[in-house]
Amino acid sequence: MSNLLQEIEAQIAGVKTSVTKQNVGAVREIGDGVAKIEGLTDAMLNEMLDFGNGVTGLALNLEETEVGAIILGDYTSVKEGQEVRTTGRLLQVPVGKGLLGRVVNTLGQPVDGKGPVKNETSYPVEKIAPGIIRRKSVSQPVQTGIMAIDAMIPIGRGQRELIIGDRSTGKTTIGIDTIISNARLNKAAEAAGDKEYRPLYSIYVGVGQKQSNIARVINVLEEAGAMPYTIVVVASASDSATNQYLAPFAGCAMGEWFMDNGMDALIIFDDLSKHAVAYRQVSLVLKRPSGREAYPGDVFYLHSRLLERSARLNEKYGNGSLTALPIIETQLGDVSAYIPTNVISITDGQIYLETDLFYQGVRPAISVGLSVSRVGSAAQIKAMKQVAGRIKLDLAQFRELAAFAQFGSDLDAATQAKIERGKRIVEVFKQPQYNPISVEAQAAILWTAQNGYFDDVAVEKIKDCQNKLTEYLTTRKSALMAKLAKEKALSDALTAELKAAVTEFKQTYK
Amino acid sequence: MKITKQARRDAKQLFRSCLVNGLLDENRVRQVVQQVIAQKPRGYLAILSHFQRLVRLDVARRTAGIESAIQLPENLRTGVQTNLARRYGPGLNVSFAQNPDLIGGLRVQVGSDVYDGSIRARLAALAEGF
Repeated sequence: MSNLLQEIEAQIAGVKTSVTKQNVGAVREIGDGVAKIEGLTDAMLNEMLDFGNGVTGLALNLEETEVGAIILGDYTSVKEGQEVRTTGRLLQVPVGKGLLGRVVNTLGQPVDGKGPVKNETSYPVEKIAPGIIRRKSVSQPVQTGIMAIDAMIPIGRGQRELIIGDRSTGKTTIGIDTIISNARLNKAAEAAGDKEYRPLYSIYVGVGQKQSNIARVINVLEEAGAMPYTIVVVASASDSATNQYLAPFAGCAMGEWFMDNGMDALIIFDDLSKHAVAYRQVSLVLKRPSGREAYPGDVFYLHSRLLERSARLNEKYGNGSLTALPIIETQLGDVSAYIPTNVISITDGQIYLETDLFYQGVRPAISVGLSVSRVGSAAQIKAMKQVAGRIKLDLAQFRELAAFAQFGSDLDAATQAKIERGKRIVEVFKQPQYNPISVEAQAAILWTAQNGYFDDVAVEKIKDCQNKLTEYLTTRKSALMAKLAKEKALSDALTAELKAAVTEFKQTYK
Repeated sequence: MKITKQARRDAKQLFRSCLVNGLLDENRVRQVVQQVIAQKPRGYLAILSHFQRLVRLDVARRTAGIESAIQLPENLRTGVQTNLARRYGPGLNVSFAQNPDLIGGLRVQVGSDVYDGSIRARLAALAEGF
């Protein structure tokens, strides 16, 4: 009882303050989640405003006689003439490891019914990106577990790699696969007690998505056991445009906490096209001048300031990193539209997914010709570099020759061999969703394909052969795979061992 | 009523012409309104509407509303007035009002600045603290 009394006394002492100065204004106009407020002469840009009854707003437009603010939460309870106060605080979200395994909204409030979020710190939603002094070039890989990406379009920790494609071409799947792959690696390193391994935590930000899609993603992550390493930030299609506009920034703040504390994080923005649309809506309601396609003039800055916050910090600043995988949905494959070109120019490369390839059964439907990773090759492990070096060229040559072969003309033996090899490589790169492959298995399979061991296998049996080879290597030759995972390079001795293992497998494979 | 950019600009210009040493001159304001109505320039209603808004905001900025639960004694009134004049400069219109809802203490509003030392505000803060 005495404790309770002390507690009450302490709380009373906390609020017993002298008269403080407050800055107030009155709502002049309200609609579509945006309020125009008269007064508020001391309001700061991006300051939180208190509308009373637990409703908060964010000052976005500071004009001569009024302040334009977006309302976070239910704006229907805000009335004309209502008093609004400044708070002196910028918009903040909870950050920290307590958020892992949780589904939260834009303000970091839990929406998964698992009780309150345990957090000790908060980060401002808008933050200036780390400067050049704090940065370091990308040198560690992000293993997506997708062979086509890890071999040809490698992604490094701290990189921004855009995933771009039409609707339903597997964009989200690539992000989910990467989360699952890294969760498995984290779990394996934890189980093995590997102190050197740097776990990669993931943040999935769903912007303007259908609730059903987000529920499906959460379900997949839970089934794959990836949720303990993942934070899901949700601003679904039914959320207000203001929440959709802020969600990627909130997710980014959560990722920055990991980076600032010497850890590695991965953030997936699904997707920035809908984010741009939400920002356009907010801007138009705020009566900001519109530009091309009615987007406001600062739509480029919107995405550049968001993506610049992903970085690899140097050792002096903790050696942490934040990798970003923004997603952009194109219309009828038009990559030259306004928002896609903006984001392409901001990011360090793009993975382009093609509808045609998707319906031909090439999944993931990655267009090798249009996809590129500008900095990731520095982060690729040596074994992968050794086996995947020529594959992109081989595939490009195959695509060109395959176009000729369609005419049915007679081809010389060398061309025929190239086409046959190409067909097998395409088959090797096909991979079912939510089924990431370890990097050592990828290297072994690519080595097998590069060295012609799949040449005598019928194209339609390649996948079966590849699966059985993977199974054979991981179960019967686990020592070899462990050595490959440890050395991360194909030395002469390892190559000889791999050759012997593959030859042995080929003798038994029917 | 739609107020065009041009109307806003004109109203702002008229408003500036009414300032004498940074303070709004009431006579000039009256003259401006009479002149505009007499000359009827293009979009004069929008100009006047925006002009009125600018004047209203300026008057609010220069008005101090002091609320108290009971009638304030004269010496306290002059003390508050002197303090406000020191902080906000001369030309402040001070008005006193009684508001029993405050329970006790004072609530002073100058423009959008509010100094709330009333018991009602403290109780509200206490309730929020719990």
